[in-house]
Amino acid sequence: MNSIELKNLTVRYREGIAIENINLEIQHPSFVTIMGPNGAGKTTLLKAIMGMVPYEGEIKIMGKNPKEGKRVIGYLPQRERINTNVPVTVKDVVLMPLVSNVRGVKKEHVKKAKEVLKMVNMIDYWNRRFDALSGGQQQRVLFARTLVTDPDILILDEPFSATDVKTKTSLIHLLHSFKNEKTILIVIHDINPLVECTDYVLLLKKKVLGFGMVKDVINEENMERLYGTRVPVIRTPETCYVVGGDRHV
Amino acid sequence: MFDILVIRGIIAMFLIAIVAATIGSFSVFRGSTFFVSGIAHGALAGAALGIFISLSFFPADPLIVAIIFSVFVALAIGYASYKKEDVDIAIGVMFAFSMSIAVLFLSMIREYASVAWGLIIGDVLLLSEEDINILLISVITLLIVFIIFYRKMLYVIFDPESAEANGVHVLLYESLLYVLIAVGVVALLKCVGAILVYALLVVPAAASRRIFQGMATTIAGAFIISLVSGLGGIWLSMYLNVAPSSLAGLIAASIYAVTLTKK
Ligand SMILES: Nc1ncnc2c1ncn2[C@@H]1O[C@H](COP(=O)(O)OP(=O)(O)OP(=O)(O)O)[C@@H](O)[C@H]1O
Ligand SMILES: [Mg+2]
Repeated sequence: MNSIELKNLTVRYREGIAIENINLEIQHPSFVTIMGPNGAGKTTLLKAIMGMVPYEGEIKIMGKNPKEGKRVIGYLPQRERINTNVPVTVKDVVLMPLVSNVRGVKKEHVKKAKEVLKMVNMIDYWNRRFDALSGGQQQRVLFARTLVTDPDILILDEPFSATDVKTKTSLIHLLHSFKNEKTILIVIHDINPLVECTDYVLLLKKKVLGFGMVKDVINEENMERLYGTRVPVIRTPETCYVVGGDRHV
Repeated sequence: MFDILVIRGIIAMFLIAIVAATIGSFSVFRGSTFFVSGIAHGALAGAALGIFISLSFFPADPLIVAIIFSVFVALAIGYASYKKEDVDIAIGVMFAFSMSIAVLFLSMIREYASVAWGLIIGDVLLLSEEDINILLISVITLLIVFIIFYRKMLYVIFDPESAEANGVHVLLYESLLYVLIAVGVVALLKCVGAILVYALLVVPAAASRRIFQGMATTIAGAFIISLVSGLGGIWLSMYLNVAPSSLAGLIAASIYAVTLTKK
């Protein structure tokens, strides 16, 4: 079964076309890394998949239209427009997607919330004010929140921008452990920590410049087409390393 | 010793504390406290418009027109904010629009202008039985709607993008919050006056947010601070012979000042 199917997907903003004629079929489950320069339309593509921007073409999420398919997606936005005036605790934040109606918090909700906070090592902060956490800690809590609804699809837009190396490594481990149950779409500028666990790489610059496995897609020619500048790629039989991959941030 | 006006004043302070704890807290959390005063001016414009309609065309209750106009102002601000406009700017624009409408109709209704002002400048110790009834009904309605949609409104003001991705209708619930604020503000204006509305809706929640952790305690804290300020204002006014609303405002502001010294 395909978790995501895009046919001739185009998104226009007032200023012009952001992504054009995207065709893509992603099997469930699989791990897909999306790369592209600033303004390439990566965030736009993710938002279109969730039905958050008007689009032309066809989108199917687990066989359904984006609006119907929303609930199977866990989304971590790029720059969270989090409002830290709101005095919510870590617990409140993680529970938000589960209990958005009047019936309130049930035991199983709390159990699930604790479970996902344990996964990101933030369970000790259960009753702490969210706005008093560090940026990386907030990011971990928001990461946990994307998991709390048990989504089939995880959509993560530059999730490691505020995290230290240790947190980043442990979050990647966590993602790795979902490989056989979820489709993961992750936008990232530095692909190096993901080369081992990603199934596919999507190179995006308004259009799809390439889609395939790391060994077929990550090479100097493609990097130059994508970024418009020479980016050395070191390849060994097992793996590859994009030199200065982290400098594109 | 307690005459009926004082008892009504005390009841009103309880009801105001409920509004302060609920929608007052949310306007502070939303970071748009200026919204409250924007709505108050919308109400003045609506009242003036209502009187103008009554004088020129057909009988229209100025209070009802004030509510309708305020709700319109609230929805316009909500829509602009949804269209990614900065809320402060949207409020400023609607503020200018409301004041223009207010001045326009106040000058056209001349000798009745004081009636329009009277609608938005009340005194908590001069409430009629009808005032209390209107306040009671508005606050109960507001409280019920607030409790039902509390979690969705919270999600939307905390993190609209994630709320939208989870299927919560951002425009709808943000607008609902704005309409609740508008209705609360207009209901209170008529009874207690513009200064007290602003003081008791914004300041207790702002102070409580600095003291307490978590939503429930912060909301409860705002209720208590608002009640202490309101009742304290009435109590002091009996000795000092000063308007209770100014004393209540001063007490609330003093509490806020004390919380600033913390942390
Ligand atoms: N809400 C919007 N309204 C109008 N234009 C937009 C909007 N969002 C994005 N754009 C434009 O669409 C293009 C793609 O933007 P998008 O945010 O998808 O890029 P991105 O690949 O995510 O970039 P980055 O790496 O900086 O996050 C850009 O040219 C941007 O200016
Ligand atoms: Mg982006």
